[in-house]
Amino acid sequence: MIGRFAVFLAYHLEGSAAYKRWKGFFHNLLINPRSRMRPYFDLSMMALVTLSVFLYIYDTKHGGGVAGEYLEYFAVSVFCVEYLLRLWLHDDSHKIVIEHYEKAEFLNLRFRLGPALWHILLRKWQYATTPFAVIDLLAILPVYRPLRILRVFILLRLFKLFRYAQSFNEFVRVLSEKRFELYTLAFFLGFVILASSAAMYVFEGELEGGQIRGFSDALYWSFVTLFTVGYGDITPQTPEGRIITYLLVISGVGLVAFLTSLLIAAFAEKMDELREHRVYVEVEKCEGLIVVCGYGRMGQVVVQKLEEDGARFVIIDRDRDRVDLAKKRGFLAILGDASSNEILVRLGIRDQVGTVLCLTGDDVLNVYITLTARYLNPTLNIISRAAKPESARKLEQAGANYVIQPFEMVGLTVAEYVGQPVAFEAVYGMAGGDKYTRVEAVMAAEGSVLAGAHIGDIRFDDIRLILLGVIGVPHDSRENRPGYSLRSRFFYFNPPADFRLHAGDILVVFGHEYSIAHFKELADKGRLNLLRKRA
Amino acid sequence: MKHDSIVLFGCNNLGLDAARRLNSRQHRFILVDNDEARVRSATERGYQAVLADHRNDDALRAIGIGRDVDTIFCFFPEDSENVFLTISARALAPRLTIVSVVDSPESADKLRAAGADKIIDPYEVSGRRIYEIIKRPVIVDILDETVYGRHDLKMAEIEIPKGCCLDQRRLSELHWKERYNLVLLGVVDKALGKELRFVTGEVDYRLDAGDILVVLGPSQEIVAFKREICVN
Repeated sequence: MIGRFAVFLAYHLEGSAAYKRWKGFFHNLLINPRSRMRPYFDLSMMALVTLSVFLYIYDTKHGGGVAGEYLEYFAVSVFCVEYLLRLWLHDDSHKIVIEHYEKAEFLNLRFRLGPALWHILLRKWQYATTPFAVIDLLAILPVYRPLRILRVFILLRLFKLFRYAQSFNEFVRVLSEKRFELYTLAFFLGFVILASSAAMYVFEGELEGGQIRGFSDALYWSFVTLFTVGYGDITPQTPEGRIITYLLVISGVGLVAFLTSLLIAAFAEKMDELREHRVYVEVEKCEGLIVVCGYGRMGQVVVQKLEEDGARFVIIDRDRDRVDLAKKRGFLAILGDASSNEILVRLGIRDQVGTVLCLTGDDVLNVYITLTARYLNPTLNIISRAAKPESARKLEQAGANYVIQPFEMVGLTVAEYVGQPVAFEAVYGMAGGDKYTRVEAVMAAEGSVLAGAHIGDIRFDDIRLILLGVIGVPHDSRENRPGYSLRSRFFYFNPPADFRLHAGDILVVFGHEYSIAHFKELADKGRLNLLRKRA
Repeated sequence: MKHDSIVLFGCNNLGLDAARRLNSRQHRFILVDNDEARVRSATERGYQAVLADHRNDDALRAIGIGRDVDTIFCFFPEDSENVFLTISARALAPRLTIVSVVDSPESADKLRAAGADKIIDPYEVSGRRIYEIIKRPVIVDILDETVYGRHDLKMAEIEIPKGCCLDQRRLSELHWKERYNLVLLGVVDKALGKELRFVTGEVDYRLDAGDILVVLGPSQEIVAFKREICVN
C-alpha cells in the first residue's frame, strides 16, 4: 500500500512542472556556476559564516546577549536549510523509485519499496560523506548546547568559506595527486613518533624528578622535537633520553625537509594548471563562448575582431610563446592540445561553447580538432581553416560547418578585383570591410510591424537604407517571383512593392550602421511610423 | 575574351588558385616564375606560363611591363621578393596597377611605399571572413551564393558613356525601382573624386559621362541595362 503510494508520488513529481521549477531555482541558487544569483548567494553565505565566527570569539569573553543568541539561531537555521537543500538537490529520489518500479514491471515482479529506499539512502549517504557535506554538518552541530566541546566546531564554519571559494578544490586536487608520497611520509612520521615517544616513556617515565609523567607527555615532546619546534618545556634528563633526542632531531629535520620539498614540487608541477584553472573558472560563467584553436596570424586577426566586438572567447595553442603573447594581451588562453577531449570538456563544449574555430596552420590537426569537437557536441558551430584544397572536403566530412581556405579567399578577391575594382570595393564594403556601411540581416519577428507589411509600405528611403532582398520560404503570393535557393530557404532579390512579408522572413538591407540600428529599433518597438501612411 | 593584360608572378598555390578564378571568368593572363618545375606544373594545368627572373629588369620588359601589361599580381611567399618586384615594376611602368599579397603585417607599409596599389593580406581576409561567419552568417551565405558565385546574381560596375541618356540626369529622376530589376549600390562621381559613394539617400547625385554606377542584379538585367544606356 505504502509502496503504491510512493510510486504514485514519484510519478506525480516527475510530471509536475512546479516541482521542476523549484528544483531548478534552487539548483541555480546553490550549484549552477553560471547563474546570476549564485555569486550573491555565495557572498551572503560568506558574510554569515564570518559573522557567526566573530560572534563566537566575542562571546567567549564578553557573553553574547540576546541579540547574539538570535543571530546564532538564525545562522544555524540558514545552515540547516542549506544542508537539507543540498541533500535534496544531490539527485532525484523519485527517479530512483520510478526506475525500480519500471524494472519490476518489466520483469513481472512485485514492486518492493525496501530496495528502492535503500538505494536512495545509499545515494544520499554518498553525498553526506563528501568533505564539503561533512564540513556543512560540523558547522551545524555546535548548536547542541549540552555538548560544550562541540562549540569549538563553530570555528570549523570557517571551512565553509572554501565551499564558496572555488580555488580551494584545485588546491585539494593537487595534494591528492601526491597521495602516495604523502601517505608514505605520514606512515613513516607515525612510526618515528611512536618509537621515540615510547622509548622516552620507558627511559624517563618512571624517573624521579623527570618531566615526563605519562605517555601523553612523551608523545607531546616527540611532536615538538620532531617538527624542530622544541619549546623546551620538557627536556630529556637522562643520557638515554639525549641519545633519543639526537636521533629524533636528525630524522625530524630530514622529514620536514622532505615534506616541504614534496609540497613545493607538487605545486610547481601544477603551477600552469593552477593558473589555467582561473581560465576555466572564468569561462564557466559565459554563454555562447567562442573557442579559438591556434593563435597564429589568422587567429590573431579573428581575436582582434572578436575583442572589438566584446565577444567572449578563449584561446588554445600548443605553442608556449603564442599563449604567452595572448596572455600578455589580456586574453584567456590555455596551453595545450585543442583536440584533447579533456580540455574541450572542461571548457564546457557540451553546453556553454557556441562556436569552435580551428585555425591552426596544420590541416591534420584542424581535422582532428573538428572531429573531436563535433563528436562531443553535434549542434556546435565549427569553422575550420584548410591550407590545401583537398583538405576542405575532409574537414566538411569531419563535421565543420564552414571551411575557409586562405588561398581561395585571395583567388576570389583577385578575380573580383580584376576588371571591376570599384565594384570590388563595394563587395568589400558589404562584406564588412568598410567601417560604417554594410549589409545586415533584419528579422521580421512575430508581432513586429514588419510581419504582414508590404515592401512598398516600408519607408526604406527615409531611413536611408537600400533593400537588397528578402530571405524567406515560398508563399502563394510569391509564386510568380523566382528566388535564389539559399540552404533551406530562398533569397528573393529586389522584391517589388506588393511583395508581402511574413513573420520569420529576413530582410537584407544595406546602409550606414546608424540607419541599420535605427531600422532595427523601429521594427522591434513596433513603431507604426516605419510604414508609409496609406492614402 | 576580355582585352586586359594581366601578369601573375609566382606559380605557387596562391598564383594557381587566382589563375583558376581568372580563367573561369575569361580573363587573359600569363603566369611567371623563376623556378622551372613550378612553371612546368602551371603549363601542365593548361595555363600560359613563362620562365623568367623577376629580379631582372630586362626580363620584366620582355614580358611586356611598361608596354601593354596593365595589371600585375605579386604572389611570392617572401615579402622581400614582392617588394623588390613592386619597386622594379613601378620604375618601369608608372601607370601599372600592382596588386601584392603580404605575409607579415609590417610589410604592408613597405609594399605601399614601394608603389603597390592594392595589398591583399590572406590572413586578414580570411580572418575577417571567419568573423563575419560568426557574426552574420546570413549575409555571408548571400554573398557566397550570389555575388561570389553559384547563382546568377552579379555585382557590376557600369561606366556612363558619352552621349548616354543618363548623362546630366539626377538619380532621383531615374525611377530605378520601377524601371529596372537592379539595385543601385553606389556611384563614383567623377566631379567629387575617385571614391565610391554608396547611394543611401544622403545626396542626389547628378550623373555625368564617365561616372561609374555599381549595381547588383541578375546578369541578364545587367546586360540589358548596359545595352539600353549605350544605344540611346
